[in-house]
Order: sequence, then structure tokens, then C-alpha cells
Amino acid sequence: MTATVTISKEWIPRIAAFCCNWCSYAGADLAGTSRIQYPSAVRIIRVNCTGRVDPEFVLNALDKGADGVLVSGCHPGDCHYTSGNLKMRARWTLLQMAVEQAGINPDRIRLQWASASEGQKFADGVRELTEKVKNLGPFRRGWQ
Amino acid sequence: MATEEVPRIGVFVCHCGHNIAGTVDVERVAEIAAHYPNVEFATHFMFMCSDSGQQLIRDKIEEFSLNRVVVASCSPRMHEPTFRRVVEEADVNRYCFEQVNLREHVSWCHMREPEAATEKAIDLIRMSVARAALLVPLEVKTVSVEPHTLVVGGGVAGLRAAIDIDSRGFKVTLVEREPELGGNLAKLSTLYQGNEKASDVIERMVLAARISENLTIMTDSEVVDVEGYIGNFDVTVKNNATDKTEKLRVGAIIVATGFQSWVPEGIPPYGMSLDVITLAQLEEMKRDDKLLCPSTGKPPKKVMFIGCVGSRQPGVQGHEHCSRYCCTAMVKAAADITEITDEVLILYDDIRTFGKGHEEVHRSAHEKFVMFSKFDRTKPAKTTVADGALSVKWRDILAGDNLEFHPDLLVLVTAMIPPEGVEKVSQLFSLTRSADGFFNEEHIKLAPLTTHTAGVMIAGAAQSAKDSTDSTTQASGAAAKAASLMARGEVEIESTVAHVLEELCSSCHTCATACPYGAISFDTSKKPEIAVVTEAECHGCGTCAAGCPSSAIIMRHSTDEQITAMVEAFLMPPPVMGGGDS
Repeated sequence: MTATVTISKEWIPRIAAFCCNWCSYAGADLAGTSRIQYPSAVRIIRVNCTGRVDPEFVLNALDKGADGVLVSGCHPGDCHYTSGNLKMRARWTLLQMAVEQAGINPDRIRLQWASASEGQKFADGVRELTEKVKNLGPFRRGWQ
Repeated sequence: MATEEVPRIGVFVCHCGHNIAGTVDVERVAEIAAHYPNVEFATHFMFMCSDSGQQLIRDKIEEFSLNRVVVASCSPRMHEPTFRRVVEEADVNRYCFEQVNLREHVSWCHMREPEAATEKAIDLIRMSVARAALLVPLEVKTVSVEPHTLVVGGGVAGLRAAIDIDSRGFKVTLVEREPELGGNLAKLSTLYQGNEKASDVIERMVLAARISENLTIMTDSEVVDVEGYIGNFDVTVKNNATDKTEKLRVGAIIVATGFQSWVPEGIPPYGMSLDVITLAQLEEMKRDDKLLCPSTGKPPKKVMFIGCVGSRQPGVQGHEHCSRYCCTAMVKAAADITEITDEVLILYDDIRTFGKGHEEVHRSAHEKFVMFSKFDRTKPAKTTVADGALSVKWRDILAGDNLEFHPDLLVLVTAMIPPEGVEKVSQLFSLTRSADGFFNEEHIKLAPLTTHTAGVMIAGAAQSAKDSTDSTTQASGAAAKAASLMARGEVEIESTVAHVLEELCSSCHTCATACPYGAISFDTSKKPEIAVVTEAECHGCGTCAAGCPSSAIIMRHSTDEQITAMVEAFLMPPPVMGGGDS
């Protein structure tokens, strides 16, 4: 059986974002104060460090119906906690494999580095993920 | 405080004048919020952070017996401390406050889509309400502060800081890796404004340090290990001459490790001739009254300076920053040597003599007939050597002429860069570094002397390139920070730390390897041994909790449940309850 998905023009994907407090959350703040306009699909959850992001959070978000998940933190070497982001980066490789093995397009998840001074970079990352997810269409698990 | 009390949440939506309300339909957002589970009260107001807004929050906490407060306004990075204080004044624990960012993350970045912005605001508040229901009051903890400060680095900044702390009556230890105090300043000849001899300035400071009652000086020594936390650091200092180590307990640390002057090894014209030197080398010659051409041993008749070598050259030689001392130091050195030379020429990209009294130094160089020529930064001067004689060719972009000069001595005014061993210092004190390699301050404007490691201050060129005037100013500031910490005697520490659930710990040690601070040790009295978090050493990053395969670690104020509740509130909205005010 093949399912056809009709995407209306107004469809806005639902994207959960985990941003570290020190770099990317502040980067998103800067995007705001600089009045940089970016897609409204993302809902930011503030965590202290991307090292806090348990891969299960990402999988759970997809399971609960997120069309995409963004994890955004400090550049490697710039972590407020010296190395939490490196731990996240190590987990990310495994997470991508897990997502792929679950039959989910890994383009639905994105790990990016954006510092507190990179409002534009943060906004560009959101835009890129939103575009990708829009092209992929709404995410539904096969058994749903 | 009961942790299982029924949540009674108040939601306060801020207009921020027109900033939020101009895009987001705040009335609708507040009306919907009133119907979320556990919400007892919801409203909107012009400025929540104003006195009347703060009073409104306190009044409603009392009127509705609220025990959780959600404020939907600006970024928590701005006003979280304000609202935490407000709820505390109304006897609600600071950790039972939650802020929603409707300004930076909604109205300002979706200005042209008011409907989508309002939808996003509704979602974000629903998510924060779900989290607020799971927030737990946490005890505000304090630790005592050891009345003893460690100053790392015995240059002008370290000396100033140590003397200041001593003068306030606190114990201070100054550690310097070289055999002598004085750092880079001791290598200079005379200092700008006033032409004071650098050695006189340093001698006066060293004398003041030596007669200070509470000040211990450790030269030839390096810090090799730092353990502990704000108020209670255990520092190991090694004497490199005797190989002996000493342990110190200090409450605060000031890092004043300074800079080194960049030597452009392998980058022409440096190395083309012995007569191509750096300003730092020229200063040492001037200090020793031996201004001689290295190749001939004769006094130079014609001297040329080139400015901004390795500074303000992103990507070219690696240093993007302006070194902030060299323009004035260069024009001063040039003016100084006019008396003993025939011609002095300065080749510059820009001249920035910005400090107090610097412009006068610049003018005096002109008055002493130092020649100035501005080169094109995209076409650097070309240096050649023929029969040991230097020739420099460039285009003066103000006159539009191609010029040539044959200096006996060519002085490269090079960048100020982080000193050797900066990586080790950054690891020892868990300091982060900016792109130019200097240590990061906590906040460039709001907290320029403190770092992200509580209890560790920075001063002088360790923080960024600067001259000795600015260094000592910062050093006095950092000393005041350390002294106020010690004077208070105790300090509040964040309660948002990791906690291990003993019965779930499988003793796998994953958390201990994940922790960037070595804050997790093992209680070997238990079989199998159990992970234990030293709370004062925990910075709250949560990397251990994310790594724990047994979910045995609770990250206080950032629990798995609190995070998951936000995700689920976003994606699986709860049914709207029948009326928030019933």
C-alpha cells in the first residue's frame, strides 16, 4: 500500500529545538534583537548545554510527532562547560544511525553550532532545516 | 517545603509596550493560557518588569495562592534574575519560576507573520506551563569562602592585584613562573605618558609587594593542579627550581598570565636580515642603552617602523585583533630615537593613539620630524636585501607615490598574542578562549572581570590585548571582586546540579568520564560502588545525565521529565480544561 500525502501550502512543520543557554539560545536572542526574520516552525527548549541532550529526547520528539528536531550549541572548543558539546557530537553519529535504522530520513534532524554572536547563522540553520522538512512533508510513523 | 504540593500556576503575559503586543495577540494568548492544566490565573500587562508589573505578580501570588509563576516576556537571559527576585519576595521559591521568551524568539523574528507568531506564543506558553507544573523548589545553598586569594602571574597586572588585595587586609599569594617579577613591562625602556622608566615602575611595585604583610611571593613557580570550587579551591603550586610542590587553599583566583609579543618566524621580512627586529627587541636595546644594528654593531642612522604586523590581519597571519598598545608604543619609540638617529620613518596602515595622553605622544613624534607614510593594506611593502643593505618599497596611498627607503634597522611592530602555555592555563581553570586566543570574560559588558568559572577572575592582557594602564585598571577591579567575595565570607551556589539515585546506579562510570569537571567520584564503601556528585564542583551542564544509561542521574531544574513535558506539550497539546477560574 502506498500512502499519498497532500501538502497544503499553509502547512507549517513542527520542529522541536534544543538550544544551549550560553551560545545558541543567546544566538537566537541576537537574531531577535537584530530583527532577523526566520521561519516560525521552531519551538526552542532551553537546556544548559547540548551535552544535556539525551538522544532519547530527540527520538521521543520524533515519536510524539515532531516533523524535525534541531540541536544547536556552542562551537567545538567554545563550550561554556568546556566539552559538553563534544559529547553531544559523539552521540550525534549514533543518533543519526538510530534514526536512519528506524526508517526516518536523517535530514529531519540537524546538529549545528551557532555562537551567541551568530544570530544570522542560527536563523539560517532554522531556515535550512525548515526547508528540508517542508520538502520531506509531514512525518508519520508507518503504523500510525 | 513540600515537593508534592498541587501546582497552582500563574501566567503573566507582557506586552513589552509595542514590542510583543505589536505582533502577538497577547490578549488571546493570556485567555487561552488561563485554560491550561493547573493554571489558576492568567493575565496580560504592559510591562511586567516595571514596578507595577512586579507588584501585580506579588499581589496575584497572594490572592490566588500561586506556587508556580510563568512570565511570558523577554529573554530569560535578560530578566530571569529580576523575576526570580520578585517571586521570592512573595515567598515562592526562585526555582518555581519559569520564563517564556515572546520577544527575542517570537515577536522580533516573526514581525511580518502576526498569526504564526501568536500560534508560536500559545505553544511556547503551553510548554512552559507543562514544565512549571513539574518544577520543584530547591534550597538556595551557600558555601564559606577561604579568605585567601591566588594571583597567577607576576607582571604589572598580577602585582597590582596582589598589592590591592593585601591592602584590604586579606591573605594573597602571587605565583610567577619566571625567576623575577615584572613580566613584559620589565623588558621595556620607558613608558608612554610621562616617559617614566619601566624599571622604576616595576621596582616600586615589587618593593610594595615585598613589604606587604599578607602577600606571599612564589617565583620560579607554576600552578600545576586546581581542584575545588568557588570559595574553596585547592591549588598545587610547583617550584620549578627546587621541584617541590606546595598545596594552598584559596577562596578566589585571579588569572593575570599576560601576553607574549609575536615573533613572525619564517614570515618575511623577518629573518631576511639580522637588522630586521621586532618592537619588543628594540625596547630591550633601548632599555640597555645599546641601540645598535645587530649585523654591524654600529648605531643605526636610518630606522624604519612598520605597524600592524600580525595585528588586524584576519586570515593572513592569524591575528584579527588590534593589539591596542602598539600605535602609541611605536610613535613613542620613534620619537625617542630621533635624538640619536638621522631619519626615522613610520609606515602605517592606521594610527590609533586613542588613550589618555596618547595623542600628545603622537604629536610629539611629528614635532620631532618622524616621517609618516600610509601604505595600502592590500599591497604590503616589499623588502629586499642586497649586500647586507635593506631596501623597502611601497606605495604611499595618500600621496599616490611609489616610495623607497633604505633603513639600517627595520622594526616590525608585531601583535600581542596569548603567551606560551595558555592552553594549559585554560584547562587548569576551565576557562574558555575567544577566537584571538585570549581568555573569555563572563560577559564583555556586564561582567568583564569574572569568568564562567565561579571564583576565577581575569585581569590584564590575559583577557585581551591592552597596555599597562588598562591592565592595572582591570587588576584593581579584579582585586576588588576577589576582596568583596572574601569579605562576604560566604557565597550562594546554584542548586541546579546533578544528583545520583543510588538504587539505579549500575556503577558503569559513564557519568564520571562525561563530566568535564571531575565532579563525580565513587563511594567505594558500597558494593558495587555508587557514583557521587560533589555538588559544589558541579556546574550543571547535564552531560552526565544525558549519558547515564540507567537514567540514574537527576539534573535538578532540568530533569528528563521537565524536558519531556515541554516536548509533549508542544506536540500533543492537552485538552483544554473547562475554565481556568473555577
